[in-house]
Amino acid sequence: MDLEFTAEDRQFRAQARDWLHDNVPAGHRPHGGEEMRAFDRAWQRLQFDAGWAGVSWPKDYGGMGLGLTRQLIWYEEYARALAPDNHLCFVGLNHAGPTIIARGDEAQKQAYLRDILSGDTIWCQGFSEPNAGSDLAALKTRAHVDGDHLVVTGSKIWTSHGHLSDLQELLVRTDPDAPKHKGISWVIFDMNTPGLELRPIEIMTAPNHTHFVQCFYDEARVPLANVVGGLNNGWNVAMATLGFERGTAQIKDQIRYAFLVEQMIERARARFGNAHLAHDEIGSRLAQLRADMAAARAMTYMVVSRAQAGIHGSEASLMRAMVGDVQQRVRRLALDIIGPDALENPEDDDWVYFYLRSYSTTIAAGTTQIQRNIIGERVLGLPR
Amino acid sequence: MDLLPSTDQEQILDTLRTFLADQAPVGRLRDHGAIGNPDARLWPELGALGFIGLGLPEDQGGIGLTTAEEALVYREFGRHLISPAVLGLTLGARIVANAGDATLREDFLSGAARVGIANPRGAVTLGARCSGDFHLFDADTAAWVLVIGQEGAGLFRREDFAAIVSVPATDAVITLERARLDDVAPRLWMSDGDDPLHARALLLLAAYAVGLAEGTRDMAVDYAKVREQFGKPIGSFQAIKHICATMAVRAEAAHCQACFASLVLADHGADSDFHATAAKIVATDSALKNSAETIQVLGAFGFTSEANAHHYLKRAHLIDLLWGDLRSQRARLLQMPTPA
Repeated sequence: MDLEFTAEDRQFRAQARDWLHDNVPAGHRPHGGEEMRAFDRAWQRLQFDAGWAGVSWPKDYGGMGLGLTRQLIWYEEYARALAPDNHLCFVGLNHAGPTIIARGDEAQKQAYLRDILSGDTIWCQGFSEPNAGSDLAALKTRAHVDGDHLVVTGSKIWTSHGHLSDLQELLVRTDPDAPKHKGISWVIFDMNTPGLELRPIEIMTAPNHTHFVQCFYDEARVPLANVVGGLNNGWNVAMATLGFERGTAQIKDQIRYAFLVEQMIERARARFGNAHLAHDEIGSRLAQLRADMAAARAMTYMVVSRAQAGIHGSEASLMRAMVGDVQQRVRRLALDIIGPDALENPEDDDWVYFYLRSYSTTIAAGTTQIQRNIIGERVLGLPR
Repeated sequence: MDLLPSTDQEQILDTLRTFLADQAPVGRLRDHGAIGNPDARLWPELGALGFIGLGLPEDQGGIGLTTAEEALVYREFGRHLISPAVLGLTLGARIVANAGDATLREDFLSGAARVGIANPRGAVTLGARCSGDFHLFDADTAAWVLVIGQEGAGLFRREDFAAIVSVPATDAVITLERARLDDVAPRLWMSDGDDPLHARALLLLAAYAVGLAEGTRDMAVDYAKVREQFGKPIGSFQAIKHICATMAVRAEAAHCQACFASLVLADHGADSDFHATAAKIVATDSALKNSAETIQVLGAFGFTSEANAHHYLKRAHLIDLLWGDLRSQRARLLQMPTPA
């Protein structure tokens, strides 16, 4: 056990810090639309050109080829520099890219990975369906082979930023007669394919906030070469993908949230007075969150430690469950500190917006309840 | 950076686990009430195996390891509900070593000394002269009593205390007494500037509480796997499964923070107090909630004296109240500067 980073790690950290200090884009990240897409792509491109995109990705595809510890250090410095999170690149960087690295063939790696790192292509996810949410394997969007193509018909929902994306990681049922986990394929879908229609879905944060789309596929044709990991092997491939979402990328959020808690302490002191705060209910919640944020960071270090030791179990789901809960409590407490002005939701002040957004934290990428099933069954060995 | 135990650390833990499984199964607590501290019979062997002086430097008679190893050991102590009086030896040895008394130091490190621990019952004065009302734990046959606060820590002789009265203990396997110090000088005193003994104490309590949180998690999970109702194990029902999963999340958070804090303390990091306090908050919170939920998972059996769940619950309350409860630790943490 140790918290020491090697001399090379520390040098890497110093270089990352310097570069971020000089290059983090100034100004507010736009909340939506083409401006947001342009902002995220430009910021990703800047990181790519300087070599910082894909710290743990293979060198052959534009990455740095370094270990998870360096990836952790990069994310820590990224968050400390208050660098904007380019959410549009998230699926490519944390889902599709790692899946193609793990399960794609050489042609797919050559065709897609570099463009993810450079921000040239934006990816979205096509997993959930109107009748397949927590029970993802019940998905019904079907695809049959026609020559050297798959023909896709059906619908996907809760696709974040689908209207701003170029490519989609798409799960389709390619063998309707097989058991439900066996007949699924993971395919790369071009969002410009004829036969695709998008319907925007407004979210609960404020009027006209579009975040999701629903996708309708009407005999949309996908080259068979876009199937990753083999036909009818998509469930297996998808499970590998979901694992990536629970890894090191979360350290960015944790450091940001720890920073938020510190801001909230300042704000609470200003509003209530330091002496009063110490034994006030809000002070107590702030202190508990300070302690919980420290624990969440330690849990992330444990996730990295286990990965370094080659232990790839489901234990990372413990960290994710903790983080989801803590983030929601942070956002909820912020409202109590703000007081009556929390009833105002101006576009240029994020506190209320992110409070409302935080309701997705315990739903996206597997609800808290599904996470608890996974922990119960795969970590604790309880019967199904 | 690595939060997993090294091979050497695993070996230390193997030795300890074997010893405790053999000598201190939790079931031993059913065999006695508050009739003194039977765990004191373990001290000489724990001393001989090096567990009391584990974190003390070699030139002070210790093994020369760090707070990281001490924390791993106290986690096992928590799992086995070892008498918290063992803190009197581990922490007292540092005071004795600091004072330079080689004979007494050997007495502590070998586990020969009998040391109880004291906890303030309200506001107390600590330092060159000490006053106030205390509880003494497992101190009835002890020659020494450890007193600790943010100012520093001291050792008293039992006879230095006035008005010692035995009282029934909530955690009934512990002997509990009320006692008072009336403007008494400690026999030995070490100020917190010499050694962050207060932070060490909070960390060891946190590690102990991790053991409580994990021990109860395992008790609930094991029961949920075998107890059948409606024709299947109750652990297959989400109502029970999700309680167990939540317990696992809490135990993991507590364990990771205790590990992290132990390493910060071992490195004499500037944030030692912050992380030790955060660890005590997260771990006691976890221990209290996990032991309470274990009683619920075990149902009526969990409510009986035969199930060990109540021992964990009562010990969790004791550990929470020892040297500053959740409320006071949260108030302290809120006032600390932002950690790195």
